Amino acid sequence: MLGYIRSVPAVWRVLVCLVFCRNLTSIGAAPICTNAQTGCQALSLANLFDRVIQHSARMHGISNDLHSEFEQYFLPSKNQIGRVSRNCHTSTILTPNGKENAQRMAREELTEVILKLLMAWRDPLWRFHQGMAHNHDFNNFSSNKALEMSDMVHELRKGVEKVADKMQMLGIISNSVSSQVSPEALLPSDSAEWHLMRDYDLLYCFRRDSNKVQNYLKILKCRIVPEHGC
Amino acid sequence: VRTSGWDSLEPHFTECISRDQETFRCWWSPGSFHNLSSPGALKVFYLRKVSPVSEWKECPEYIHSKRECFFDVNYTSVWVPYCIQLRGQNNITFDDACFTVENIVRPDPPVSLNWTLLNISPSGLSYDVMVNWEPPPTADVEAGWMRIVYEIQYRERNSTYWEALEVQPHTQKTIYGLHIGKEYEVHIRSRMQAFSKFGEFSDPIFIHVTELYSEETTFPLTFILVFGTLGILILLMLILIFQQQRFMMILLPPVPAPKIKGIDAELLKKGKLDELNLILSGGIGGLHTYAPDFYPDEPWVEFIEVDPEDSAAGEKEDHQGSDTQRLLGLPPPVSLNHHLNIGCSSTISFPDDDSGRASCYGPDVPNQDTLILMAALLPGQAEEEEATLDEVERAPSPEGGESHFVQSQTAGSHTWVNTDFYAQVSNVMPSGGVVLSPGQQLRIQESTLSAEKEMQRKGKEIGACEETGEKKQKGLQFQLLVVDPEGGSYTTESTARQISAAPNSPTPSEGYQTIPPQPADAKPAATAEDNQSPYILPDSPQAPFFAPVGDYTVVQEVDSQHSLLLNPPPNLSPHPCMPQQPLKALPATPVAYVTPDLLGNLSP
Repeated sequence: MLGYIRSVPAVWRVLVCLVFCRNLTSIGAAPICTNAQTGCQALSLANLFDRVIQHSARMHGISNDLHSEFEQYFLPSKNQIGRVSRNCHTSTILTPNGKENAQRMAREELTEVILKLLMAWRDPLWRFHQGMAHNHDFNNFSSNKALEMSDMVHELRKGVEKVADKMQMLGIISNSVSSQVSPEALLPSDSAEWHLMRDYDLLYCFRRDSNKVQNYLKILKCRIVPEHGC
Repeated sequence: VRTSGWDSLEPHFTECISRDQETFRCWWSPGSFHNLSSPGALKVFYLRKVSPVSEWKECPEYIHSKRECFFDVNYTSVWVPYCIQLRGQNNITFDDACFTVENIVRPDPPVSLNWTLLNISPSGLSYDVMVNWEPPPTADVEAGWMRIVYEIQYRERNSTYWEALEVQPHTQKTIYGLHIGKEYEVHIRSRMQAFSKFGEFSDPIFIHVTELYSEETTFPLTFILVFGTLGILILLMLILIFQQQRFMMILLPPVPAPKIKGIDAELLKKGKLDELNLILSGGIGGLHTYAPDFYPDEPWVEFIEVDPEDSAAGEKEDHQGSDTQRLLGLPPPVSLNHHLNIGCSSTISFPDDDSGRASCYGPDVPNQDTLILMAALLPGQAEEEEATLDEVERAPSPEGGESHFVQSQTAGSHTWVNTDFYAQVSNVMPSGGVVLSPGQQLRIQESTLSAEKEMQRKGKEIGACEETGEKKQKGLQFQLLVVDPEGGSYTTESTARQISAAPNSPTPSEGYQTIPPQPADAKPAATAEDNQSPYILPDSPQAPFFAPVGDYTVVQEVDSQHSLLLNPPPNLSPHPCMPQQPLKALPATPVAYVTPDLLGNLSP
């Protein structure tokens, strides 16, 4: 059983990679080139953006599904408007709260914000998945979703990094984007009795943050790769 | 929204909605507190947790007519928790709610709905429609700020149930399987991707496709097809019916009936064994073709089984070298019985013929009459020399009719075995037997041979010609036997005697003799004895001296007394000086005649 579980992440990694890589290779049928190596076909920035946006949409969808499941399992449905706000660990990261704010923000900053967000969620999601796998209250479907979510964050971060590198290469952004995470963004070590509630809050927070990432990427693309209506 | 109790309803927030994720509105209701329905009685405060230090602020924009609090772009922050409170006088909080803006987004319905006809099914009963629209103008979809998915619902005009199609982000959708002639209503609503709150439905559009001319084009085609197939089927049926025999011949070929040359298959079917036997035995209308074919292998010609007693009484000498045998090239019979046996065994394969078989397998001796008649019919073999000799020697001693008859019979018994192809019935026995007389030619030959032998034996040198001529003269007596068909089957003894007595004089003349019918039958023939046909010759040859009747005699006519008048045989003019003519051509037009009574007796 454990072996199967351990192999599942690998399988999901492969699947995620296939999904991602297929997106990447569907255009040129060639690996992504770095430093303009000879013999490989470079993907355009627009294609890269499309892929990462697609990925982030997928990630957000999964997070929404998981959140809905948790809401059914653990908490009765409350009023329509919403719940009491929570303190997410990523609240310290300054993120634009509106469209104009995001549009007015510098590309580098926006890219950096995206990367920070993605970086901040790598470990918590992994721990969340581990917690779900061991807890028999959740079905396999939720556990698989958690794993997929975790892997997607990882892949998305790498994808955005590639986009950033591409942008740097193209001269769109000036300096390199650092993906260093501030220490306060890291979650404190968890204790046993807060698991369940924290998981639900975690999902809530992640759902919000994945939506942020998705929107930011879209705005970024609209700003960098000019399209109609941007 | 807070519910407190049954009887009263406090002022509460009804809903907060954002259309574009850049602004949002909140509505409240005074509830049952009608005194608070006046504008300004209730106030909305909000709290935006953007910073650690946050404070309640009042609604930036009131729309009292709608009891709405509008938050414009400056006051809207996405992903930021909001809390609102509905306060009355004296800061009494009636209701509060917290939310984030992205969770309350309900996009506007799409606009510019229209449909186009894609195709119509070949049956002309259903069609497909493509519906397309524009995203809501308030939603900034191009910038990617909002990702909207759409849900189409359609229903028939008079139905209350909406058919919902799958949510999808594209601005067009194909509806399949709409029915011709029915009117459909379509409307669309939108929501944010990965969120659950739908916006309102758009204004409906109506789809209605009536029966088009395309039906007319397909109608004759189906018409033609249906009637074409019907016509082909009818044609096939007609062909089948009218050509039924031919089809039956092809499908079920008839079983070939047994074919025997010369025999009508109808005889086999109807079981007319009498005629069949007659035909097969080579009698009247018989199979002449059979005769030469069968004789080499089926010497059942010789199959004339004789009475065992007679044969025992008779000579046991081997009769060898009969003319028939010589003619056919057959080996001479060893003995009578043996000969019979030989003949018997070789006719196993012969078709079922009672006349032939009965004599073989039956333990009983076949009817003498049958045999006699067979002998009469069948080509008999040539008389043996010895028999001839005996007969001839005995001939000149007429001792009596009976004895003559016996002798003749005895002699005849041998002669039966070795009679010629055809033998003439000379006499009818009292017992019903038939006496055969050898053919004229044979007679002459026999007499010649016997004369020669006699000469040889006696060592006399007699003029063969003279002797032959004498013998011939003797032999040239023939006696015609006329049997009344209407009379009894057999002539009585008296008649036989008459017959026997009549031919006494060896008159080498042709003569006729009629046997009048029986007077016992109370027929006008009672006086038939005296009544004789003008054909009756005065002289009749002696009984032993059987007139050299021709082998075949043609019935000339039937007289008034139902007597058959036979033609004399053609003038046989074998030169007496030419005795050595063992093989003489038989006279022409031979006819073996037999009465119906005898015919009836033929079959056992």
